[in-house]
Amino acid sequence: MSRGPAFLRTTTFRQTLLSAALFALSSFIILAFVYAASAGMTGRRADAAIEEELQTLEAQFQAGGIRSLNRYILQRTVGGGADYLYLLVHPTGRTLSGNLSVLPDVEPDEEGRLEFIYRRPRAIGTEETEKDDRAARGRLVELTSGYRLFVGLDVDEEYQLVSRMLSTILAASALALALGVAGGVFISRRFVARLDSINEVARTVRAGDLKRRAPRTHSGDELDELAENFNNMLDRVEALMHRMRQTGDSIAHDLRTPLTRMRNRLDEALREEGDLDAREQALERAVSDTDEILGIFNAILSLSRLESGESRKALVELDPAEIADDLAELYEPVCEDEGLAFDAEIERGLALRGDRGLLSQALANLLDNAVKYTPSGGAVTLRLRQTGEGLVEFSVTDTGPGIPDADRERVVQRFVRLDNSRSQPGSGLGLSLVKAIIDLHHGIFQIDEGPGVVEGQHGPGLRAAMVFPSLPRGSA
Amino acid sequence: MRILIVEDDREAASYIRKGLRESGHVADHAADGEEGLEMARAADYDVLVVDRMMPKMDGLTMISTLRGEDDRTPVLVLSALGEVDHRVEGLKAGGDDYLVKPYAFAELLARVEALARRRDPETVRTKLVVGDLEMDLLARTVVRGEEEILLQPREFRLLEFLMKHSGQVVTRTMLLEKVWDYHFDPQTNVIDVHISRLRSKIDKPFPRSLLHTVRGAGYRLQA
Repeated sequence: MSRGPAFLRTTTFRQTLLSAALFALSSFIILAFVYAASAGMTGRRADAAIEEELQTLEAQFQAGGIRSLNRYILQRTVGGGADYLYLLVHPTGRTLSGNLSVLPDVEPDEEGRLEFIYRRPRAIGTEETEKDDRAARGRLVELTSGYRLFVGLDVDEEYQLVSRMLSTILAASALALALGVAGGVFISRRFVARLDSINEVARTVRAGDLKRRAPRTHSGDELDELAENFNNMLDRVEALMHRMRQTGDSIAHDLRTPLTRMRNRLDEALREEGDLDAREQALERAVSDTDEILGIFNAILSLSRLESGESRKALVELDPAEIADDLAELYEPVCEDEGLAFDAEIERGLALRGDRGLLSQALANLLDNAVKYTPSGGAVTLRLRQTGEGLVEFSVTDTGPGIPDADRERVVQRFVRLDNSRSQPGSGLGLSLVKAIIDLHHGIFQIDEGPGVVEGQHGPGLRAAMVFPSLPRGSA
Repeated sequence: MRILIVEDDREAASYIRKGLRESGHVADHAADGEEGLEMARAADYDVLVVDRMMPKMDGLTMISTLRGEDDRTPVLVLSALGEVDHRVEGLKAGGDDYLVKPYAFAELLARVEALARRRDPETVRTKLVVGDLEMDLLARTVVRGEEEILLQPREFRLLEFLMKHSGQVVTRTMLLEKVWDYHFDPQTNVIDVHISRLRSKIDKPFPRSLLHTVRGAGYRLQA
């Protein structure tokens, strides 16, 4: 189905066309108004001059009667150089004087005004042409005793000027319309071409080439902005795809190990035909391997939900001290059992907007890490305080080995496990989960050194802090 | 106890059924929500174990229909959806407890038994007694034999939960959910540590132990 060239269907073309038409119409109206005004003025000026001359002639008639008037007209018209057209007619219809041969064959209006074409008398020996038909207007008045007097003016030049003006106006309007249409075609073709280039990129990307980007003009106009947004979206899509692939690889890697182990155990159990004890032991360990795998799965799921913003929690105003108190109470005996000194410094009267379950989970994660990595004899401190204006900080400080500066950025990535932690149980997702929970609360995650090397310990320690925007003090 | 399992996955259903029977319960199976609804109406069950996502009628619709008919049989909801909002949905529909798949059978059994207990007429009890251990819920005191035992507030709540479910297995996850109101699994053995603290107060000084560890499942308080 053919619907004509693409640019004809664009909004731009239609709008340009519409504005061109509007522009042509409005300039036509303005010029028509100018025309009407100047045409009317030409007529009025001629009429005023005619009126003045008529008054002179009537005064002449009043003063000296018909003879005086006749003489006056003769004087004026002798030699053919008169400004006005005159005609004095006897009551019988006979022409007495004047430079017009007969009264124009036009019916005057009630004031005696009339417009007509007359033939200009020619100098003897010159050809008469069409050009000698000239426009004129004048007024016919009835004098006393049946004499009639006509005074007129040749307005041919003025009329021609006005009519030239009219054709100019029409031509100008037509030109404006034509230019508008041409402009519309030009602009919309350019528009279509730029849109097409973006559409083309969309098609290539859909076909699988995620690297393609829409061309930018950097002019900052709407199409450029569209291209920019489009490109940003593609960047995000590409990053997500990349992360998905990476996660897939990591899942495969991290699950393969426990899955292989479990498979081997089950296989072994199958072959331990006689030894029931060994068989049971192998099965039990296989179950605990399964639990580990399920744990990793669950962590991956929660993390994906948190990161995708799929489960947007309703954050409510809460007292962070309650969260810290509960976790301090939960972990203090654990630390004690591990031979760690536990201390909680919890500031009261703070408030923040958050989800109790998630914040507790994040804090529990940091405490788990501190307990796991700090050697016996060390210390773990849970701290809640206000840091600066409008900020609340939960932190867990330990005296363990710490995390080297270079690795601090890396540890929050999924499945990143530092070499010295490989031997510890864990999915490598804990800190990613903490980071995702912090992001959901618009907070920041800080990892730095703990209290420095403590006697009997093997590293500078670690301070992991979650900093959140706080609500006004004591409003919780 | 008579238990109805409403679960469309036959393998999962027969796993639960076998386990429940081995633990001395009678278990029936319905393969979808509609069948489950009919069976629950026809017979008097002590507990319903209902899968959330099923063909024909999903579990939550089935539960709210039953509740609409004023059937107050305790329901344990099974679901692969484990977010807090999902839990809240399940409990709002009329479920009494919510267990996220996959789960260990011991966990399911412990929860089913805890739910059946809840069915007993809810008399307002002010005193819990297990053997020679007594808890006064009003005075908030605990006495074993002649001796008063001083407990921290959380230890008191932990013991209260154990005493209310005396004779039953309670799992670590149940304790974390019901006593601490946490729905995540800490990496460290926090619950074990707290149990061992409690044990040192209520059991150690006495010749007979009341708080037992059930291997692979959890704990049981029993005289």
